[in-house]
Amino acid sequence: MNFQKRSPCGRLGISDVGQEVQVVGWVDALRDHGVVLFVHVRDRSGIVQVVFSPEIAPETCEQASSLKTEYCIAVIGRVIEREKGTENPGLDTGQIEIMASDLTILSSSKPLPFPISEKAMVTGTGAAGTGAVAEDIRLQYRYLDLRRPSLQDNFMKRHRIAKSVRDFLDERGFLEVETPVLTKSTPEGARDYLVPSRVHPGEFYALPQSPQLFKQLLMISGFERYFQIVKCYRDEDLRPNRQPEFTQIDIEASFIDEEFIYELIEELVVRMFRIGGSELPRPFPRMTYQEAMDTTGSDRPDLRFGLRFIEATDIFKNTQYTIFKQILKRNGHIKGINVKGSSDTLSKNVLQNEYAKQIVPGFGAKGMTWMRVIDGKLESNIVQFFSEEEQQAILQRFAAENGDVLLMIADPSYQVVTSALGMLRLHIANRLDLIPNTYYPVWVTDFPLFDPSEEGVTSCHHPFTSPDRTDFDPTNVEELLSLRSRAYDIVVNGEELGGGSIRIHDTNLQHKIFKALGLTQSEIEEKFGFFLTALEYGAPPHGGIALGMDRVVSMILGTASIRDVIAFPKNRSAFCPLTKAPSPVARAQLAELGLLNLGGEQVLPGAEQEGDLLEHLSWVSRIGISENERSTINAALQRAAHLAEVANDYARDEEPLYSVIEVSHIVRDGNEARNSRFAANGELLKNAPAQKGDYFKTANILE
Amino acid sequence: MQENLFSYVNASPSSAAAGLLAGKSFLLQPNLSVGGWPCEAGSTALEKYVALEDATIVEKIKNAGATLAGSARMAELGLGLSGDSSARIFSEGKCNVALISDTMGEARVTASLARAFGFKPSWGIISRFGLIGLAPSMECSGIMARTIGDLSATLQVLVGSDRRDPSMLQERLPDGAKVDEPDRVATLGVIRECIDTLPAAESSALRSVFPAMEKSGTAICEVSLPDFKQFRTVHNIVGSVEASSSAGKYDGVRYGHRAENAENWNEMYLRSRAESFGLIMKSYLFQGAYFQFRDYTAFEDACRIRRRLVDTTKAFYKDVDFLLFPTRSAAQNQRSPASIDEMYDAFALTLPANVTGQPSLTVPGLLQCDGVDLGLQLVGAYLDDARLLAFAGRLVDTISDLHQ
Repeated sequence: MNFQKRSPCGRLGISDVGQEVQVVGWVDALRDHGVVLFVHVRDRSGIVQVVFSPEIAPETCEQASSLKTEYCIAVIGRVIEREKGTENPGLDTGQIEIMASDLTILSSSKPLPFPISEKAMVTGTGAAGTGAVAEDIRLQYRYLDLRRPSLQDNFMKRHRIAKSVRDFLDERGFLEVETPVLTKSTPEGARDYLVPSRVHPGEFYALPQSPQLFKQLLMISGFERYFQIVKCYRDEDLRPNRQPEFTQIDIEASFIDEEFIYELIEELVVRMFRIGGSELPRPFPRMTYQEAMDTTGSDRPDLRFGLRFIEATDIFKNTQYTIFKQILKRNGHIKGINVKGSSDTLSKNVLQNEYAKQIVPGFGAKGMTWMRVIDGKLESNIVQFFSEEEQQAILQRFAAENGDVLLMIADPSYQVVTSALGMLRLHIANRLDLIPNTYYPVWVTDFPLFDPSEEGVTSCHHPFTSPDRTDFDPTNVEELLSLRSRAYDIVVNGEELGGGSIRIHDTNLQHKIFKALGLTQSEIEEKFGFFLTALEYGAPPHGGIALGMDRVVSMILGTASIRDVIAFPKNRSAFCPLTKAPSPVARAQLAELGLLNLGGEQVLPGAEQEGDLLEHLSWVSRIGISENERSTINAALQRAAHLAEVANDYARDEEPLYSVIEVSHIVRDGNEARNSRFAANGELLKNAPAQKGDYFKTANILE
Repeated sequence: MQENLFSYVNASPSSAAAGLLAGKSFLLQPNLSVGGWPCEAGSTALEKYVALEDATIVEKIKNAGATLAGSARMAELGLGLSGDSSARIFSEGKCNVALISDTMGEARVTASLARAFGFKPSWGIISRFGLIGLAPSMECSGIMARTIGDLSATLQVLVGSDRRDPSMLQERLPDGAKVDEPDRVATLGVIRECIDTLPAAESSALRSVFPAMEKSGTAICEVSLPDFKQFRTVHNIVGSVEASSSAGKYDGVRYGHRAENAENWNEMYLRSRAESFGLIMKSYLFQGAYFQFRDYTAFEDACRIRRRLVDTTKAFYKDVDFLLFPTRSAAQNQRSPASIDEMYDAFALTLPANVTGQPSLTVPGLLQCDGVDLGLQLVGAYLDDARLLAFAGRLVDTISDLHQ
């Protein structure tokens, strides 16, 4: 079959009327009108309606009666204008249709596991969506899921965004250089994915968590400006919207400072968002880490709305209110927010019973103080404990007006106050619908260089980040904690899109940092030896940044999940339902890699036949066992092993019989979605051990 | 005392409907859903569970005029008879008919203990919608009754396809129990390898029944099934795997028991399920998990042997009308086995019909050994339920005539 003259389905229009055309694609939907058959044919460009009529081509029409959804077909026919009143405004090609004269079925399709069509054939009727289809089924048949135009559109946009990144960076003189995927474990903090080496038995490569050291080496090599759109890998615990492999836009440049990065990335981000139809105003505002924490409780602040924190500690320095008094005695902090004009929605009941008693304790604070402003005065359950002076100071500090609601959190720990108030700020904003549908980018700068740890300090970023000054004493923990780093994060709407820093290019400074981190000479040598050696050969001043590609694209396209912008993602448990990866491997394969008895004494799970069978089965079937049950269950397992041997002895080559009745497909009546009446009347929740509103309540999702 | 035998007593056991079962009082088990009744199925896993609606077969017997007396106590999720009170309630005359789920022979063994008729129909002709099951490919609701008449009437009401149970046979369901078959010589087969497993006293008790049967116009012949012992292997492997799957839903999220104060999901599952199952059930679920996660080939092998057993058994029916077994051996402990193995010993004679899905009936009063009624078990060809009941009726009549 010759496809050279085919017309893209979605590009046909009124101007083609009268032409004979060939279209190829998939049967998106069918509508049988007794005699005449209407078919939506879909290719990458769009959908066009094809009409099979016995009056035009009886044989073709007969042949078309065997069509089913997602058959791959080629059709030849004449474009005609649709009759008045039968146009389909839901289709770009809704003015025309093709009267088929010839049909070739290129390949047929099994019945679909879920509907693919997104376009209604008749105006006003709904097309099936995939809203109710379980995500694992969609991922298992991802190649079908990806046929959906809305998903295909995500990938066309993703392509355009990636291309704009490459074009822009090319304009600015950046070179795309590839770095290795099989490499050495790098110090990024998360767990590495390891790849065993066959040639060096018992030794491992690591997949990169980022090309950090390689891009710095490229600077030492004199490339000056490097970038790469690169896959990175992190073996992290399960979290929503995380993938074990992800793509980042990795950038590094020499002889630059922070301002160079800000200008470059702002222009880059503006161009990327432009493809999604949004224009971001430049320059992006900047905020120090301290300011972000002080006013929003987060180092990735969502600034689309107000509710900034107001410092109130000093107001209460002489208070008689016992709770505050005790907290301040322990050097505590009090901060609050003013929820303007919300006293109607935030009733006493909501504030006291929901927020103070349930929600805020869930954020880690012991409690919350609330006050409503009525007739120029404060009103609440504890306001009587505040002096007149204190009340006036509160009204003034919070710029309180009638109808405002003031919320405060007090705690001995600054960290508890800011983090709980930060979560409360987001909760209130969501609840009162205060968040406008817009993008608000911000640079967060001046991060601390170190975090305190039990043994001293650890790097907040990574140990190659340049400090704001070099004259510190690496043994003085207090001084180390006061250091700022030359790191920066780009944050949009409370999500971190990327981050980077100006790096250390001086070996002495680098050694000083390692010393501050408490690393011994041999540890340094083992982990970073090759890199430190490289630093000794005339390293240029340099710095860079990395942006999370999946996350940016997902944000630009407004998808619910980053899985909607990744062609073949893993599911929430880091499993691929399509390929069933990860999967066990044969013992022979492990033996070849020298993994059966690694290091002599470390025996891998499964290496010994018995292993911890009982523990393993208890885990996979999620049934706990107590000590006194072990012997009985072990005996049952020994019996099971015996039964398995017997079965193996007796079985011949019969086909396994799973049911005494021949298995058959059964289709229920109708094609409307059906909901249980017990879901509708709420009785479905009647037997739940715990419920909240319309939901089943369970333990925490996160470990 | 009464409350202790029942897990639930129906306070208002009335029925307005006239029908085939009018005036008959039914005893149920708490694994059969009746809207508004507690249905804990003998397991902590379903603690405080109250059924939202009637099982299809409950609806059917209600519509046919039956009254519901209540639910008995039962073994955990219907596996075995530990703690089951149906036989006792039935013996005390508190009901006419009992519906007892039959996973490895529970309905038939209960009937033999209560000296009543117990019947497990062909698999797939009675709806399982609303039955809280454990081993879906082998279990179904069984019927215990005092007369063949009550049994047939109940079967007639229960049989019928159900859109809510897609596992059922889709075509040609047997029409309940209406059979008027002209008298003819029926041939009963006994499996040599089965008799060999019985204690000497019981096998001679079985043989001593043959003359009376032959006098009543029934022929007896011996057949050989060298794989007889594998019924038990297959049932144990398939049953435990299906149980492990079926019990997977008891996670304490939407209903049932939940352990207190778990920190996260996994801990909640592990602890809730640790507290949900008794030791016998847990052993069984671990065996199932073993085959599922450690040796899946064993499960497939068991299903291969299952096909052979079904085919071999089917072939017998070219020469015999029914197969004959004792229902139980008095040497075994049906009431409180201490291990999975003991339980399988106790049900070794009834579970073949669960493996093959064939109809099986225990008849009281015909097979005694040292004063114990072992129950005479007749197993018919698949879907030959009606003929089996009709034959049993004639057999009982003619033998009691002979005795008079």
